Amino acid sequence: MITGMDRLTAAIRGETADRIPVFCNLLDQGARELGMSPQEYYARGEHVAEGQIRMLRKFGHDNVWSLSYVGKEAELLGCRKIAYAKDGPPNVEDFVIHTPADIGKLTVPDDVLAHPMFAEVRKCLDILRREVGGRNPICAYITSTMTLPTLLMGMEKWMELLFLGPAEMRDALLAKCHDFFVKEVSAYRRSGADVVVYSNPFGSTDIVPMKFFMAQSLPWIERDLRAIGTNGVVYYCGMARMNQVIETVFDHTGIGAYYVSPLDDLAEAKRIIGGRGLTCGVINDIKLIDWSEADVRQEVRRILEAGMPGGRFLFGTGVMPLAIPEANIRAMLEEAYEFGSQKREMNR
Amino acid sequence: MNLQDHIKLYNEAVFDSDRDRALKVVHDAVAQGVSPEDVVFEMVLPTMNLMIKAVSEDFNANLAQHFLTARIADAVTAEMIPKFKKLPEMVGRVVIGTAWGDLHTLGKRIVIGCLKARMIDVIDLGVNVPAERFVDEAVAREAPVIGISALMIHTATGENGCRKVRQILQERKLEDSIKIIVGGAPFRFHPQIFKTVGADTWAADAVTAGKVIEDLLQEARR
Ligand code: B12
Repeated sequence: MITGMDRLTAAIRGETADRIPVFCNLLDQGARELGMSPQEYYARGEHVAEGQIRMLRKFGHDNVWSLSYVGKEAELLGCRKIAYAKDGPPNVEDFVIHTPADIGKLTVPDDVLAHPMFAEVRKCLDILRREVGGRNPICAYITSTMTLPTLLMGMEKWMELLFLGPAEMRDALLAKCHDFFVKEVSAYRRSGADVVVYSNPFGSTDIVPMKFFMAQSLPWIERDLRAIGTNGVVYYCGMARMNQVIETVFDHTGIGAYYVSPLDDLAEAKRIIGGRGLTCGVINDIKLIDWSEADVRQEVRRILEAGMPGGRFLFGTGVMPLAIPEANIRAMLEEAYEFGSQKREMNR
Repeated sequence: MNLQDHIKLYNEAVFDSDRDRALKVVHDAVAQGVSPEDVVFEMVLPTMNLMIKAVSEDFNANLAQHFLTARIADAVTAEMIPKFKKLPEMVGRVVIGTAWGDLHTLGKRIVIGCLKARMIDVIDLGVNVPAERFVDEAVAREAPVIGISALMIHTATGENGCRKVRQILQERKLEDSIKIIVGGAPFRFHPQIFKTVGADTWAADAVTAGKVIEDLLQEARR
């Protein structure tokens, strides 16, 4: 039987499997499936693993996540307060960095794998590896060096420090974030993650000007990638656009996969990436909340029509909001499975 | 140098997101005899309006640009107003905060910067604001506009956010006198949802928000 991993590998190599790979990122939905509050659900690695496996059985997409919520990274760096909602994802509630002195005090764990806050992630990964390893790509979410400070001091304070300085303080923090980034990637890989989603909104020209991207963001992207290699790495800007930087990121790092924003022109992204790498076409999952099933199917077809020609294509979602009706999730996936089948791919 | 030259230099500095250069242009202008009133009304405001025009014509404005434009405008206005010959007439008053359950401050902060430069009196209710408080404060402070910022879909569309503010306005028969404007990432990904959550309007970015809110306030004065 063809597995999700086979589909992903085929797409990366420019070969065809039965259909294109389909990534569907259902995180908070796991809690609902298990009838738990998000807080109860995310407290245990076995819950998250069980939730992911049930999602896979229910919807038949290709990937699973070891990610519980993005704020986990702040917890690994000392955050002890997470705000849980009943109808949405958990958020960092208390920042680790309040004052300049806190930057000096920030300590990066030597071995993230052995950190108590990583224990549940590790448990989750153990189970996923045992149950679906090698068959379904296991994804890890890692915030880039330049974006990580947002989780430690908030977006507002980080923008201030990043753009208005003092530069030494900014650089001291970035150095620590880079150190953590490298150790975190290593911990996830050693625990069995296959795909590293490199999340870098500060590598999008929606967030920073091009001049700044070239002068500040790019050197950190290069450093990050030199340290971890490009194996399994996907460039992702947190759903912000990336078409303007794909070429540069590719030339400077060799990253082979791009998780394009739904606000980007997908056909253009595909032209830029061409046969050099994997183009991931992403649906605007906020609109999935109130689209009709017919709208959903039409949008999936539009994305596939723009992205499939020439192969090396993956269909994906963002972090799917809980408010999306299950019928729309099914309609989206059915259409992607059907329209993304090999038969159709060969006919183009 | 005449006023036009100062305006041009200020403009360039703001479009380059260079705060220090913009402040220097302002200080040079004042030193050369440009009045604080002219700095605000001939330099700061027209530049913001140019930015709105540029954004609407698909000039690739980014978050940093909005952030720095607001910071510059806020800083210059705060410095100039005390030097005005007489206090400027305010356009009106707005209460603003982030929706219940939402702790993100940046969007609101940038919007506030843009509002202040437009001589709009802003009352910042902070983050995680209960729906009742939005309405209570708007009534107590006689603000005809409530601004709600939300960065996540559940705080933008959830039952304790804008929807509830609308419900309370309706129950208290305040809908004619108080208008709701929303903003934040989910509204940009789905430009129609401002309607489903019961807002009167929305804006995709902070400089545009300044103009839209100014228009709402002008309407309220009529
Ligand atoms: C940068 C970013 C991050 C960073 C930093 C987050 C942080 N702490 O701020 C990182 C990578 C860490 C991150 C993490 C997460 N993120 Co995030 N992130 C983004 C991104 C790329 C930009 C958001 C941002 O900060 N923008 C800056 C602010 C200022 O912009 P803004 O809110 O749009 O405000 C502008 C306008 O909207 C307007 N405006 C704002 N408020 C108001 C108010 C009024 C009245 C008006 C008129 C106008 C207005 O003016 C502002 C300036 O121009 C967006 C996607 C995108 N392209 O927008 C996703 C996004 C916000 N994230 C999202 C999510 C889900 C998350 C997580 C919850 C994921 C998870 N499951 O853990 C976490 C939460 C982390 C936490 N807080 O604990 C979703 C939210 C939608 C949803 N599904 O609910 C988004 C939209 C991505 C998506 N499409 O899926 N994220």
